[in-house]
Amino acid sequence: MGYFDVKIISEHFDVPEAKSLDYYESKGGYRMARQATKTAPAEIHAEVKKSNLRGRGGAGFPTGIKWGFVPKDSETVYLVVNADESEPGTFKDRHILFWNPHALIEGMIVAARSLGVRSAYIYIRGEMLREAPIVQDAIDQAYAKGYLGERCFGSDMHLDITLYRGAGAYICGEETALLSSLEGGRGWPRLKPPFPAVKGLWGKPTIVNNVETIANLPWILEHGGQAFADLGVGRSGGLRVVSVGGHINKPGVYELPLTVTGNQLIEEVCGGMRGGRKVKAVIPGGVSMPVLTPGELDVPFEFDALQTDERIAEVEVSPGVAFDLGGGKTLRTMAGSGGVIVMDEQTDMVSAAWRIVHFFAEESCGQCTPCREGTGWLAAVVKRIDQKQGRPGDVDLVASIADGIAGNTICALGDAAAWPTLAFLTKYRGEFEAKIKSSNYKPRATRENKAS
Amino acid sequence: MTSKQLSPEIEARIEALRPRFPVEHADKAMCIPVLTMAQEQFGHVDEEVCTLVATALNLPPAHVLGVATFYTMYNNKPVGRFHLQICTNIGRQILGAYDVWAQCKRRLGVGNHGTTEDDNITLSEVECIAACGYGPVAQIAERLKPDIPLYFENLDAERMTKILDALEEGRVPTELGS
Repeated sequence: MGYFDVKIISEHFDVPEAKSLDYYESKGGYRMARQATKTAPAEIHAEVKKSNLRGRGGAGFPTGIKWGFVPKDSETVYLVVNADESEPGTFKDRHILFWNPHALIEGMIVAARSLGVRSAYIYIRGEMLREAPIVQDAIDQAYAKGYLGERCFGSDMHLDITLYRGAGAYICGEETALLSSLEGGRGWPRLKPPFPAVKGLWGKPTIVNNVETIANLPWILEHGGQAFADLGVGRSGGLRVVSVGGHINKPGVYELPLTVTGNQLIEEVCGGMRGGRKVKAVIPGGVSMPVLTPGELDVPFEFDALQTDERIAEVEVSPGVAFDLGGGKTLRTMAGSGGVIVMDEQTDMVSAAWRIVHFFAEESCGQCTPCREGTGWLAAVVKRIDQKQGRPGDVDLVASIADGIAGNTICALGDAAAWPTLAFLTKYRGEFEAKIKSSNYKPRATRENKAS
Repeated sequence: MTSKQLSPEIEARIEALRPRFPVEHADKAMCIPVLTMAQEQFGHVDEEVCTLVATALNLPPAHVLGVATFYTMYNNKPVGRFHLQICTNIGRQILGAYDVWAQCKRRLGVGNHGTTEDDNITLSEVECIAACGYGPVAQIAERLKPDIPLYFENLDAERMTKILDALEEGRVPTELGS
């Protein structure tokens, strides 16, 4: 099979002592952090650019380019690690934090050196009660060894890392909401621009990177950016840590080449479908991402392929009318957060769609009217369709609400609710229509039809 | 008049945390960590507790209340000794989480965020808790014991019954957790 031959982050997952500093160092850990303290910042940045490392949190933005947005000669720059993993279907960062916290800290030292950061924060999800003490222990151990603090590895580099626990809000995974939260407020997203790299935490230039993104940095420094790029395909370097759940035999977290397709993931990596049933639908990267049908699973689960491969149908607003992503671009799907959910033939797609929009209605931060009102409305209408109370025209109504949210909000939560809704309607429209057809809904008597 | 007070431990933890933030922003930045500490002490965060936190950090009480009501992990009213949280999000929904949820509601005789009459168990339906591979999943928090952060995975009626039995006996069934 060969999928498991190369591993960057997950090699020691499931080794009980993997989270200790001694174990990590015995496997070569912290050598790159030590080396970074003696390496010119620009040199590290050049390797990261060359590596084609793309953000692993969801958007897939090239990390080296993001770092380049920090204005030159900024006196204070912050590094914030986004460990607020909360996209339903995604549990890869939780595994990295649990099994390999020192890779994250080492990566942060590398990044901090390149960016000139003296104070860095890890914003960890409040619900990660099990992982927070592990990460705090790892930080404490690194301080005790002199790897963090005023003189990292005895150099003149000063780096403090502070663990900051969230308190339960999906929206705080959005980078500007995360910064609002870290500043001590409600997790309200901010308009971009200005981007955090220019004006972020407390108004200072701030780089927000995902856990997995940062944990790749020691490997990149050790083997060179080119080697990392060569591991990947096209404009996407390295491997990808994906979490897979749902109706498969072997759910779990896997670090895989970006060439792996949906079908290979299910059959060869995850041991096939439970009970030998057939696949009905696959969400490729967290519930925000448009769902794929069985016929669309021969595409590699890689950033660009999932967005552009013509074997994946375009998401539509109504049959034959493609959804406009802006600038004439159409939407197929995206690699998102790497959280894969596999659904078998017995899954009720209307119920699944309801649970997704219900989630977004719960988690909307309330700032923007289209999202605050729209997600609740979506959830109400999809719920009534699901409960056999649907009304004629409800499918079009759902589509029009979703289309009214998308692109009209400060942050991407609006899109995250609209895109999967439209994708479910595009690809499983028949199931929605069938439920409406067999609906028990009776219109209330009006004066006219009473008379007739 | 308020009778509650933040414990001296919390006062000390606030001072230990302060240097981690820029001086002029530290008070506000500590709002969330201190609310979390206050909830560890009191079990919930109501207006009275928010006022204590606001006083400790020189923040407007309205700001602290706004923050406390924004985040889902702050309980705005007292919860039972055990807070049983069941995720019903899609990864678990398709694996039968609503059956487990219905079982808990029936057995405990409470609705969402309800607490049993003996104040022993509060039941909450929660969104994704990042354990989507092994659903249905529950997380159990025990008051004053923030170090019992176990996940209870692959739940079915039988496992759930064992968990509820243990909670009613007054203990977290750590042997079933991971």
